[in-house]
Amino acid sequence: MSQINNQRRQFLKLATAISATVMSCSSMQVMAGILTDDNKMDATEQAVFNKMLAISLPTEGSNLVDPATLPVISTIEGALLAGMPHHIRKGLNQGIHYFNQSAEKAFGKRFTKLSDEEATKFVDQWAASDVAPHRALAMGIKKLTVLAYWAIPNTWAPLGYDGPVSEKWGLAKRGITPEPQA
Amino acid sequence: MSTNKNQLNVITAADMTAAQLDLDADVVIIGSGAGGGINAYELAKAGKKVVVLEAGPYVPSEKFTEMMAVSMATLYEGEGAQSNTDGDITVLQGRCVGGSTVVNAALCFRTPDYYLKKWGKEFGLTNLTPEVMLPYFEKVEENLGITEVKGHETSVGAEYIKKGMKALDIPLGLARRNIRDCAMTGFCFAGCKTDRKQSMMVTYLPWACNHGAVIYADTRVTKINTQNGAASGVNAEVVDPKTGKVKTRMSVKAPIVVLAAGPTGSPLLLQQSGLANSSGQVGKNFACHPSLSVTAMFDKKLNDFHGATHSLFDDSHTLPDDGGWIQLNAVQDPVEASFMAEPGTGKPYVRYMQNYPNSTRLITLIHDKNVGEVTLENGYKEIRYQVDDEDFEAMKKGLKDNARILFASGAKYLYLPTSDKQRINSVDEIDSVIDALENQPARYRYTSFHPQGTCRMGADKRKTVVNPYGETHDIKRLYVVDASLLPTSIGYNPSETVYALASYIADHINEANPS
Repeated sequence: MSQINNQRRQFLKLATAISATVMSCSSMQVMAGILTDDNKMDATEQAVFNKMLAISLPTEGSNLVDPATLPVISTIEGALLAGMPHHIRKGLNQGIHYFNQSAEKAFGKRFTKLSDEEATKFVDQWAASDVAPHRALAMGIKKLTVLAYWAIPNTWAPLGYDGPVSEKWGLAKRGITPEPQA
Repeated sequence: MSTNKNQLNVITAADMTAAQLDLDADVVIIGSGAGGGINAYELAKAGKKVVVLEAGPYVPSEKFTEMMAVSMATLYEGEGAQSNTDGDITVLQGRCVGGSTVVNAALCFRTPDYYLKKWGKEFGLTNLTPEVMLPYFEKVEENLGITEVKGHETSVGAEYIKKGMKALDIPLGLARRNIRDCAMTGFCFAGCKTDRKQSMMVTYLPWACNHGAVIYADTRVTKINTQNGAASGVNAEVVDPKTGKVKTRMSVKAPIVVLAAGPTGSPLLLQQSGLANSSGQVGKNFACHPSLSVTAMFDKKLNDFHGATHSLFDDSHTLPDDGGWIQLNAVQDPVEASFMAEPGTGKPYVRYMQNYPNSTRLITLIHDKNVGEVTLENGYKEIRYQVDDEDFEAMKKGLKDNARILFASGAKYLYLPTSDKQRINSVDEIDSVIDALENQPARYRYTSFHPQGTCRMGADKRKTVVNPYGETHDIKRLYVVDASLLPTSIGYNPSETVYALASYIADHINEANPS
């Protein structure tokens, strides 16, 4: 029982690491920190993110921008991983490896080796899983990937979204409000 | 002293040349958000020499990008990644000169009399009566331009939701906001580039500087010092944001220390300093108003991209006896929309995002129990908090109301913010889909904008951290003035409560410590 609890605790730590880093990927390259060797993606992580990107945004036949033409993976690395605290980065790395390996149980192959159809099914199964860390990992890795895509302004035009407007609209700065007088 | 330049006097890491800086002041204020900004002004105006230390950077409004992704990285605590230990609640707080007032939605509510009376009865805060607090609400409303939205201050999504509320005979709640001449860009959460939102950065902080206050940005306090049971100052480090390295070590000697580092920062600093915790309550009683955002898809383009960030609410169930939830409309950019629903991986997701122009959202936010805790573990901040089972049931009732409003507004189908696909296709499906939801970690996409409660205020020093006038029970002249004070969550956006309480405590500090 204690072993199960330990495993669950470890799962939760991994899940937490994934989820807690998800919002950081919103930092775009303009905000990137210094990317140390320790924080760079390893080959497995690159492959997992590439696979997740391919199955999350199959844009052929749509008007959305093909993710293969955008620096999504380098945005994740340059904006998310750079400057990430060591313990979070380590947990994220472990979580991604665990996610990749776990596909073998259901499909006999690692996530990165699955067909797009199998990989899609795996992600959706984990998102609906009764196991909290599975949900967290599926939701977290996917969220991280699509956020990095949509954080790139080139992706907005097909939606009709016009982005920043203050300068475009010629809005004047109001400036500092005068101090109240007694 | 009044210099009356009406400008911020901010010193950043880039301005620092010395390895050590020692300052003397009458008051050192830790944090420059709502509580810190208001106290900086009120105390400086009374003739005190005030130094404000802000851990975050100084980002002038002309550098605001109106891109949520970049704003998260520059203006938010933990680059927007602050979350609870389970990782399923993003806890958003500002971390910059002006604090959360720079990145909040500017939505203001007076503290309901219900809570002031409850706090009096249950926490001995009999000094905070509605009559006593009224002039403080009026004062901050005047200073910050808090007024109800005008007719044009709305959004496309809000207008649809308004129709739905009217069809269901739900009273329309029109938002009151601390904004002057709103330009309706919809970028409140990314900082107001043209200074219309009346954040501390364009109000109380520069006003404080008119009276000699100095603000140090990039400066994190490492320890609060005491002498003979009274506050005596702080130690701090000025950190170069480009390298993360300490550039200057600082000490500030001051007989009054005002702690306004926010509901996660303030308790951690007290814990690090080993202070004010004879009750054992420092960091406990964390609440955060968890919120879930329901995405409504229409059969036509709404282009709900800009407008008033919030303009409409339904608070007919907000007090605990009425249910304990509030509904708030909000505009949403594609970055937020990209993770607020789970339509299924692959083509369903592509279709969902292609239909983003056809969407709007309605947020359900709950009054929650103070069941969490903020601690330092192995040198890292932990926010241990899970949504309480009873609170989750309130959330479900709120989500049902939310869904009914959205369908009455004309929505064709809805997505719930869950880990897996949860779509509601008609009014008839609302109860069955939502009744099936269970309170589980990592199942929902929660956001919290309102952490609170970690240095609880009350008369009983065995059960609370801060006395009814904001001074810690244990340490003389050490005051807390941020949302940590709140004895219970209040179900409404707490910014005006903090503005008013901070003003009240500032008056007490001035009375107890004449210049």
